[in-house]
Amino acid sequence: MEKAHKPKKVFVQGPISPDFVAKSIASHQSKTGIGAHAIFLGQIRADQKEGGAVTGIDYTAYEEMAEQAFHDIREAAFAKFELTCMHIYHSLGLVPTGEISLFVFVSSPHRRAAFEASEYIVEEIKANVPIFGKELVGEAGHVWKENT
Amino acid sequence: MRVIGLSGYQVSMSFQVKYFGMLAEIAGLSDEVWNAADGLTVGQFRAQMLDKYPAMRDKKFKIAVNQKISEDFVLIEIPAEIALLPPFAGG
Repeated sequence: MEKAHKPKKVFVQGPISPDFVAKSIASHQSKTGIGAHAIFLGQIRADQKEGGAVTGIDYTAYEEMAEQAFHDIREAAFAKFELTCMHIYHSLGLVPTGEISLFVFVSSPHRRAAFEASEYIVEEIKANVPIFGKELVGEAGHVWKENT
Repeated sequence: MRVIGLSGYQVSMSFQVKYFGMLAEIAGLSDEVWNAADGLTVGQFRAQMLDKYPAMRDKKFKIAVNQKISEDFVLIEIPAEIALLPPFAGG
């Protein structure tokens, strides 16, 4: 089962479609050692700000550093948890409210590793990957998002 | 500043600086070339930066040198790519 984890493309332009998520699930049907998938989807929330509701987030990133950070997170997660495979996708550019900007998909023989790995990966992404988000507010305003 | 040579010129260097998020907004650009005397630390660079862009004074940001977040005591050695990183917002 040991294999090299080569760097993978994480960033996608715009929202991540539910259709893409469905196809990702379907593409794992041949991997019959898997007994549990855990999927985390980050969705853009219509927070109320001064000046109106958030209508979307425009994402940018320090891409070279972010790709490396994603790679490090993948390696750490494979080392920590019993995982069969792992996919991470994050949006760049505009993602409107209600759409998906983060898709973390981990697969394992058993549920516990899948649950724990998905939480670990999401927390690591929020804390350590140089991604920046401009929350578009009302007609023309914006505020810069900050993870807490 | 270190001075060498019979003519007494200052050794100088230049490196690329990248701005992201609200810091790019304040600077009005996403990257520029920075000229400085040799032997510059991250902390000294930060001070020069805040002199040039006073509106960054009340903003939180980290400085990455060659994609590594670096403390103020770190010496900047060329070739270097410096990035000013505001709070992360992934997810």
